[in-house]
Amino acid sequence: MYAELRASELAGLLLIIAAGLALPQILPGYFLYTGNSLMTYAILAIGLDLLLGWSGQFAFAHIAFFGIGIYGTALLESRAEVPFLLSVAISAAVAGLVGIAIGFPAARLRTVYLALATYAFAECAQWVFRTWDPVTGGPDGLRFRPPVIFGYETGSDQSSFPVVALILALAIGAALYLTKSKLGRQMCAIRDSEHVATASGIDVRRTKVIAFAISAVFAGIAGGVYTLFQTFVNADVLGVSQLVTVLTMVVIGGSGSIIGVLLGVVVIGLLPELLRAMPQSLLVWQEFIYGSILVLAIVFMPQGLWGLIKPRFIRRTGGCGRTPAQSIRAPAEASQ
Amino acid sequence: MLDHAPNAKTEEMHQEETLIRMRAKIAAALAVLAAVTVQAWPGVSRAAEPGVTDAEITIGMFAPLSGPLVAYGVDPLAASRMLYEEANKAGGINGRKVKILVEDDKCNPNDLVAVVKKFVTVDNVFMLHGGSCTAALSAAIDYINREKVPYAMLNAAGDNAVFPPTKYVFGSFQGTQRSYAAAFAQFAAQHLKAKRAAVIVHDDDYGKANAAMAKATFDKLGVATVAIERIPPNISDVTAPLLKIREAKPDVILSGAYPAPAVLIAQKYGEFGMTNIPLLQSAQGIPTPSVFAKNVANPAALENFFYTWAFSDIGDPAVRTKYVDMFKAYNNGREPGPFMMSGLPSAMAVIEGLKMAGRDLTREGFVQAMEKLSLKTDAMPGLLEFGPNRRDAARTMVIIKYDGKSQKVMPGTYTWDGIEAN
Amino acid sequence: MIFQAVLSGIVMGCVYALIALSLVIIYKSTDVVNFAAGEFVMIAAYAGLLLLDHLSLNYALMVVLSVGLVFVLGAFFERTALNHIIGFRYAAEAALVPMVVATIGLSFMLKGAVRVIPATEEVLRLPPLFSGPPLFFGDLILQRQDLGIVGVAILVMVLLSVGFNLTATGKALRATSQNPRAAALIGIPVKRMRMMAWAVASGLAGISGILLGPKLLMTPDMGSVVMMGIAASIVGGFTSLIGCVVGGIVLGVVQNLVGIFISPQAIAVTPFFIIMVVLVVRPNGLFGEAMRLKKV
Repeated sequence: MYAELRASELAGLLLIIAAGLALPQILPGYFLYTGNSLMTYAILAIGLDLLLGWSGQFAFAHIAFFGIGIYGTALLESRAEVPFLLSVAISAAVAGLVGIAIGFPAARLRTVYLALATYAFAECAQWVFRTWDPVTGGPDGLRFRPPVIFGYETGSDQSSFPVVALILALAIGAALYLTKSKLGRQMCAIRDSEHVATASGIDVRRTKVIAFAISAVFAGIAGGVYTLFQTFVNADVLGVSQLVTVLTMVVIGGSGSIIGVLLGVVVIGLLPELLRAMPQSLLVWQEFIYGSILVLAIVFMPQGLWGLIKPRFIRRTGGCGRTPAQSIRAPAEASQ
Repeated sequence: MLDHAPNAKTEEMHQEETLIRMRAKIAAALAVLAAVTVQAWPGVSRAAEPGVTDAEITIGMFAPLSGPLVAYGVDPLAASRMLYEEANKAGGINGRKVKILVEDDKCNPNDLVAVVKKFVTVDNVFMLHGGSCTAALSAAIDYINREKVPYAMLNAAGDNAVFPPTKYVFGSFQGTQRSYAAAFAQFAAQHLKAKRAAVIVHDDDYGKANAAMAKATFDKLGVATVAIERIPPNISDVTAPLLKIREAKPDVILSGAYPAPAVLIAQKYGEFGMTNIPLLQSAQGIPTPSVFAKNVANPAALENFFYTWAFSDIGDPAVRTKYVDMFKAYNNGREPGPFMMSGLPSAMAVIEGLKMAGRDLTREGFVQAMEKLSLKTDAMPGLLEFGPNRRDAARTMVIIKYDGKSQKVMPGTYTWDGIEAN
Repeated sequence: MIFQAVLSGIVMGCVYALIALSLVIIYKSTDVVNFAAGEFVMIAAYAGLLLLDHLSLNYALMVVLSVGLVFVLGAFFERTALNHIIGFRYAAEAALVPMVVATIGLSFMLKGAVRVIPATEEVLRLPPLFSGPPLFFGDLILQRQDLGIVGVAILVMVLLSVGFNLTATGKALRATSQNPRAAALIGIPVKRMRMMAWAVASGLAGISGILLGPKLLMTPDMGSVVMMGIAASIVGGFTSLIGCVVGGIVLGVVQNLVGIFISPQAIAVTPFFIIMVVLVVRPNGLFGEAMRLKKV
């Protein structure tokens, strides 16, 4: 039923865990913090890619589930003394349920309308986070204590880094299993053509709803991870610009492939840190430069970075064949 | 795609797999070995006090230098820097010159935390000085206190970060939102003799603090709060809230709006013929009065218009000239924008605190010195003060009457007495 | 009080409608939602202010030049960036994600470029086209500029409807969006049609900028009004021009009524809530055509 991981993939996961143990010993806190942020983005981006790249659903509600994950985990830990792992599990499950709830109506919508409806949902969620004072602290936000997991204290970048790395490795592993499984193939089939998928006997609506749910669970878990190394959340970090950041990571890295997404996370995630090195008088140009890079990257690499690099490294394709990114450049080969 | 003979393919795959498996095992083993080895190394010994040498004190400064709030960051940071440079020119502080490192926090919590951590763990600064946005800097407060690094805010109001006060965070150098609200509530009650007040604020953290404190002050002074309207910061049509305020028949209207909505409110208030009711606008909505008047484009709307201000430059033009000239000298003759003054008090306080801490400079010593601060400057109408349980420096405002052409400082200063709001 | 709220709502609604019309033209012709539409509005407003204040041009010339600027900008962007992404494909659907990301990138570029200019850190205001004392209808107050906005919105809608339905170019544009391959087969220059659609839509955004600059006040972020335009077009049906105006008016009035009867705080979330509800309950909006099945 579920395919096995290839050796190279398993090695990659072990490497992540090993790096998680090793790096905190040699790097200063700032680099570990950047690493923690990137790893959180990675979990978010993989979750989004499962929906966008693998299932072809152009949906933007992702950031709302991230918020549910953060607030849920933080509140359960601080107000109800629920241990970390259980808090994350519950919050991710709640996110998944909300994902199912919006998955049903969303399954009926096509492309642009789906994008707009889910985007509107994300904005509504942000508004709720901002105005629901008694629960989310409203505009003042929520300050929370770092969790203690089985006696291990997190909170500092050094101590939370290995935990984040471990969760990331598990998330990537889960995504790999999923994409190689029958469900994964069904998701691909829907992406390529819903009509053909239905004709092949796939329950399109059910698959879409499951894809929404799984994607939401990933975002919820990312939210839980956020509480390991941050101490504050408010609605400002749960808005459009975060959504756009995650989307560009997926698209510029290469949607429909996990390595591509990870590549995108690293490139787009490190870009602001690199731009920081500009001379002070030029800092105000950052926004313009970021936008220009975005436009240039998407115009000249619509398949993403991985789509550009991949043919040189790997001859075999994984999962269900062509990624949607590849459809953009080579429609004529579709019938092969 | 590529068609190889099936058997050949499987052979290749097999060999590839084995090779990769071997490599993977070696890599993993090496990584674990590295982890264990590195752990055994002795830690690098730390300098006696980070950021302090015989000749220099390193301060990490940050503000929004790009993005939507760039106007609130660039000039205030430049103003603080110029005061540090002036101190350096005069011989430094207790024999040390101040060295400034600058980063852009984009008013974004994640970026701000990244910048703070870079300053503390990579650049090893002595202290932090920065932040124009309270919500963003709130994300770093726990880390700053945990790492015991002294931190002075730049021009953020800082309500959520100084209440409750924490040891290492010194803020609100141009006044908290509480002070602004208390000031104009006191003015409305005492000078304008209002009995019914309407309040219009944004639904963000500033607005929340504003509204709560205005109501608490009014309750204390026996004024009825007949309307509280909360509007989104990007509102484009203020018809609804102003109609509701008009219905409530107030004697005075208090607005905590940001620059664009402040103009819309003044315009609609003029349009709806409400100008017999005094309108009090909090300073954050009036960066430059003449621009505000031009935008409102209706002199009648400003007949009964007042605003709060935390600085002395309007009451005393000589003060303004002094600092504008200083700014131009340090910034290639560039005229400062509207927010320049707000960068001054924090640097003044830090310089004084460093002086008081003495030549034997430590982070703890600096914190103790700041707790004793009670500084009168020519830039502010009141004192910049801290205490064992107080971390907001400025509580005194003045009120300016502005009719579109000239500004007149109203008599008296208005100081928040520290009452709590719920 | 309610009547004033409704009246102001109608005016704001026409503001949203103008932006919605710009969005719908692009969507009708190329299936892309232009997330940079708000920034085109903003650029036209700032260009107008620059021309008026610093070069002291007269108002009419300023309008022509500002609108012309964004007209060219839109055409240029389509011709270079979007054209390259879409490649030799006829329909945009598979390339939709990169094209939308490109428009998002463009919006960052435009905002970032404007923000670099120090003068933009203050809130500014474009002088209105129609100025003078406000008009009074009994208890109700209406600014002359507001009346102008309503008039222009209706005029533009009528012209566009006529254009799309009765002229050859308009029909060609509609054909291009319905079935690009077939349109190409019968000799319609598909690429040029797309560029023209973008140019016209951008020009329309420019006109909105000139009308809205006085009303909305000018900041580099004023482009966020695009979400209202999107909401208006969805309520009206994303493919209908009349729908834009009706949808805009409905949105504007509902927002003000929500502000009065619920709270002004809820005004921010009203357009998004409406988008969600409409798309789930009645995706075609009020006037939209039933969603076409794309060829597989």
